[in-house]
Amino acid sequence: MKRIEAIVKPFKVDEVKEVLTSLGVAGMTVSEVRGFGRQKGHTEMYRGAEYRVDLIPKAKIDVIVPDERVSEIVTAITAAARTGTIGDGKIFVTPVDDAVRIRTGETGPQAL
Amino acid sequence: MDQAVRSKRKKLTYSEKLVRFRARLRDPEWRRYGGLLLTGKAVGIGLVLLLMVGVPALMRVAPSVVVGTVHAQDSGAPAGEAAAAPAAEAAPASAAPAPDVKMTDTVNAVNTAWTLVAAFLVFGMQVGFTMLEAGFCRSRETVNVLMECVVDTCLCGILFYAWGFAFMFSHGNGLIGTHWFFLQDAPATYEATGVAFLAVWIFQFAFADTCSTITSGAMIGRTGFVGDLLYSVGVSGFIYPIIGHWAWGPDGFLATMGSDGNFLPSIGTGFHDFAGSTVVHTIGGFIALAGSIVLGPRLGRKFKRDGGGPMLPHDLTIAISGGLILWFGWYGFNPGSTLSAIDAEGIGRVAANTTLAACAGGLFAMLAAYIPSKKWDASFTTNGFLAGLVAITCPCYWVSPTGAIILGAVAGVLVYLGVELLEYLRIDDPIGAVPVHGFCGIWGTLSLGLFACGKYGATGPTGADNSAPLAGLFYGGGMTVLIAQIIGSAIITTATFVSAMILMKVVNATGTLRIDREGELNGLDVTEHGIAAYPEYVIAGWATPPGAGSGSNEK
Repeated sequence: MKRIEAIVKPFKVDEVKEVLTSLGVAGMTVSEVRGFGRQKGHTEMYRGAEYRVDLIPKAKIDVIVPDERVSEIVTAITAAARTGTIGDGKIFVTPVDDAVRIRTGETGPQAL
Repeated sequence: MDQAVRSKRKKLTYSEKLVRFRARLRDPEWRRYGGLLLTGKAVGIGLVLLLMVGVPALMRVAPSVVVGTVHAQDSGAPAGEAAAAPAAEAAPASAAPAPDVKMTDTVNAVNTAWTLVAAFLVFGMQVGFTMLEAGFCRSRETVNVLMECVVDTCLCGILFYAWGFAFMFSHGNGLIGTHWFFLQDAPATYEATGVAFLAVWIFQFAFADTCSTITSGAMIGRTGFVGDLLYSVGVSGFIYPIIGHWAWGPDGFLATMGSDGNFLPSIGTGFHDFAGSTVVHTIGGFIALAGSIVLGPRLGRKFKRDGGGPMLPHDLTIAISGGLILWFGWYGFNPGSTLSAIDAEGIGRVAANTTLAACAGGLFAMLAAYIPSKKWDASFTTNGFLAGLVAITCPCYWVSPTGAIILGAVAGVLVYLGVELLEYLRIDDPIGAVPVHGFCGIWGTLSLGLFACGKYGATGPTGADNSAPLAGLFYGGGMTVLIAQIIGSAIITTATFVSAMILMKVVNATGTLRIDREGELNGLDVTEHGIAAYPEYVIAGWATPPGAGSGSNEK
């Protein structure tokens, strides 16, 4: 099993969610995060003073998928979340040791 | 001691307690305790009774002058001099002998009802103030801002009842009033307005409350609650009523200025302030300035000249809605100051002037802020229409709508420059209270000397009296009014700032004015009030931009 961690622009969450459910991914976790990449944020203006805002709001979508589906799902997320402008986000893939369904106690890929 | 009882340590039934009580009645040591307890309670009750009877008795002086005598003094004033008629809401009409209005007149009922409606509107401004201040501060100090507004209101009410109204609006001498403490021995109606005395009291209380709330505006985020209580007593109890007496008291030296036997008789006219640009707003603004200077900026605050900027507001929705509620309440503040619905043309004109000045102020502040930054700043726009409202508050009765627009526009630009000035001087004023109320209050007061259009004189319970109209520089009236305004404004501003600096320094010396570093960084809400404003949400330290910072990197 692999964890696919996708950090995307907040308004892309619905699109990514739709694509994932259409691919049959059973569940996901969405959280609100802040961060920056190479561009180190943008400038804002308040009462005539300029600010560098480098912790920009993003959405993080975590899905755990079986190994054989990883590349398919990563491609789908990338396509759904891309706008072509700076700040589209990143996807990280990491291995997962185990998964447990709390209600029944099932473990392994059946728990997904 | 009763060892058996002590060692039990279980809950006793009532009958067991009764047994114990009877045992104690017999015990000499317990009898001594009981006797001491009862004596102490009796002494306490006796002291309270003594205060309740003794303090009013001490405060009570000779009964106040009868209304008739006041008329005689005023109708003796030389005609054609606007001086003898401080056309503020409290005074009778100028050259014409004041009408002998009695409580039974329908006119009085109408005027009293009008005054009360206006008083309620002005009190409604408190909601506006809480929302404005809460919106512009950070979420970690929101509860503190709300509490300070509420408690300032409650304190002001009691103080204004006890001696505030007496100092400000009763007869005494040119500097202070000496009658009506605890509202004793007051007449049925106030002076020659014909309005019920207590209705005037609540109307003026609402004004005093406004001044008191303005002062907390520039001191947000780092003021200890006890310090706030202490300085509020100084402001609502002493600075505002005493200095206000000079301009609005029936014998205030600035109100009666410019005529024989009074202050500066050669000036030719008294100091005019229809609804309080100076008395309420300049006083409030400059006390806020003094407080802000003595306190110093919030921790972590970097100023524009050092590469930082103002700390971000946490809720612009509340802030700007609050500003609009203030605008709404201002319709009681200005038109209500006629204390007369019978002067229908007057209240209509005042309401229209108020509106136009606000409109102009908002637009011009927005433009002034846009030019250097290329952004349409919401906070400057709000400060702008508030500045227009503050500025029109003094001259609203005497200017034409055109004049109102022009002076409102100037106020809008002035408030933008004022905010920039304070930022340059490294004074942390989170909501712009000092530029809006202090600086534009002065501008509004002076603008009367320029824009008084020469058609309107004094208001009155049975209608306007325009026999001695005020004319400003732009309307052929020369420098007379302007000079009187400059003198009055300068005296009041200086006196306010000096006394406020002394007050703030004294409170600071008690150690209660500024909260400690740890408390300020964690936020006043949890430190002073035990709860966060939004307990369900994490307070985001990163909501403040890097230049402003959360303060945690301060050494």
